[in-house]
Amino acid sequence: MKERIKLALAQMTSRREDKEENLGKIEALTTQAKMLGVDLAIFPEMCLTGYVVRDQLYELAETIPGPSVQRVAALAKKTGIHIIFGMPALSEKTRATLYNSAVFVGPNGLIGAYRKMYLPTHSVFEEKRYFRPGYQPAAFSTPIGNIGLCICYDLFFPEVARLARLAGAQLLVCISASPAVRRSYFETLTAARALENTAFLAYVNLVGVEDGLQFWGGSRLVNPTGDIVAKAKYDEEDLTVCEVDFRDLKTAEAFIPTLRDIRPELYDQLRNAAERI
Amino acid sequence: MMGLSGGVDSSTIAALCSRAIGGDRVLGLLLPEQETFKQSDIDDAMTVAKKFNLDTQVCDITGILESFYKSIPVFDPVDKLCKGNIKARTRMTVLYYYANRLNRIVCGSSDKSEAMMGYFTKWGDVAADISPIMDLYKTQVRKLAEHLGVPRELALKPATPALWPNQSAEGELGVKYETLDLILFGLERFLGTEDIAEQLQLDNELVVKVKERWLSAEHKRRMLLVPKIGYRTNGQDFRLPRNDY
Repeated sequence: MKERIKLALAQMTSRREDKEENLGKIEALTTQAKMLGVDLAIFPEMCLTGYVVRDQLYELAETIPGPSVQRVAALAKKTGIHIIFGMPALSEKTRATLYNSAVFVGPNGLIGAYRKMYLPTHSVFEEKRYFRPGYQPAAFSTPIGNIGLCICYDLFFPEVARLARLAGAQLLVCISASPAVRRSYFETLTAARALENTAFLAYVNLVGVEDGLQFWGGSRLVNPTGDIVAKAKYDEEDLTVCEVDFRDLKTAEAFIPTLRDIRPELYDQLRNAAERI
Repeated sequence: MMGLSGGVDSSTIAALCSRAIGGDRVLGLLLPEQETFKQSDIDDAMTVAKKFNLDTQVCDITGILESFYKSIPVFDPVDKLCKGNIKARTRMTVLYYYANRLNRIVCGSSDKSEAMMGYFTKWGDVAADISPIMDLYKTQVRKLAEHLGVPRELALKPATPALWPNQSAEGELGVKYETLDLILFGLERFLGTEDIAEQLQLDNELVVKVKERWLSAEHKRRMLLVPKIGYRTNGQDFRLPRNDY
C-alpha cells in the first residue's frame, strides 16, 4: 500500500440532467489529473446529474454498477487513477428506490459505494422526499490507502466519520453539494471531523448555481491535526492537487490520542439518550 | 371575477363557480377586441352566462391595445406572439382591476394540458387567485363541462387562446388533445418516452417533443427565480400556510 498519494480535488460545475456532458467533464479532469501524477481524483456529490434535479431523479438514477459507473471505471482503468464521484443510485432490487451515493472505482473496477446516511430535508433541501438513507459506513482498503466515504450533511453527525475511521479509514473523503449560505459550517466541520478522528479529510464541493442555489466550492484537504493543507477557489471550477502522507498519522495520533481515549461504554448511553430527545 | 371567452375552459369555470357560490355572486367579463372578434364567441359566452345565472359585463379592450401598440417604441406588428401576449396580459389587467375595485377574487380557467405545455402567456391568462381546473387535462375538462350542463357544442368547441385571428390550439401544439393528454398522463406518472410511445403506438419523436416542451416551460409555472441568500427565501423555502381570501 502506498504511503504517499496525490489527490485531485476536482471541484466542478455540473450541467443539470446532462450525464453525457458531466461524464465528459469527469473524463477531461481525470486526464488532466493523470498528467499531474494524481492517484485519486475526487468529484462532488451528485456531479453526474447536478444536485437540483427534483423529480427528474427517477429518470436519471442508475444502478451501481450501471452504464455511468462502467464508463468511469473504464476511465480509471485507462488512466490508472482511482476515482470517487457522486450520483443518484437506483437500488437493483426495485424500480424507484434511490440512494444519494458516492461511487469509488479503481483501475481494477468498482471498489464500492457509499449511501448517504443523513439526508437533509429542511430549508431548500428535499432529499428524504427522494432518497432512502444508507445504513452502512464505508471504509475501503485499497492499494492507495484505507479510504472512508461520507457525503455532505453526514459531516454534521460525527458518528459517520468516526465509524469509517474505526473501520480503518485513514483518509476520509467527503463529497458535497453545499450552498453558499452554509459555507462557514462546512469550513468548521471539515476541520473538526479530521481533528477528532486524527484522519486526513478531503472535502470536494460542487460549484455553480442551480435553480437559485449557489454552491460555494472551497474544496480542501485537511490534515489529521485539523490544518487546511490545500484549498480550492471559492465559487469557481478548480482542480487542486495535493498530497497525503499517511506517515503523518502516527505523529498526529500520538499527539492527539482521541482514538486511544475513546470510551465505548458511552455509546450505549448515547443511543439511549438519542432515543429520548 | 372571471373572463368569459365562450370556450370550454371558461364555460366550465362558469358552471363550477355558479355551483360553488351561486351565479349571482360571479361576474363574467367578456373582453373582446377588434382583431379576434367573433360574434359567435360573444353569443356562446352569453349562453353560458345565462345558463349558469352569471352577471356579465363587456369591456372592449381594442382601445387599450392600440394605445400599447402606439406607445411602445420597439412595437412590431409582425411579431404576432409578442403582440398576442399583450392581449392576454391586458385581459388579466382588466380582470384584476375589476376584482380590486369590486372586492372579488379572480378565478382562472387554465387547464392541465396548457399548463404542462406552457401553452399560455406568462403573467397573462394564467394569472389568477384560484385555478380550479389546472389539474384536469383538456379532455377531462370537456367531459366535466358536459357533466355540468355546458352545451355539448361548447364542450367540444376547438380551443383557441384568441391572441390572433383563427388561432388554433391543436394546430399550434401540433397534436390532438386526445393524444397529447395521454402522453402527458404518462409523463405525469414517470413513464419513459419509449414506454409511452409503445403503449400509445406513437412515434417516440412526438413523445420526446412533448416531454421537452413540458420541461422547458417550468419557468412559467414556478415562482420567480430567486437566489438563495438569506435564512428563509421567498419562492424557495418559506413554507407558510396559504391565507384564505
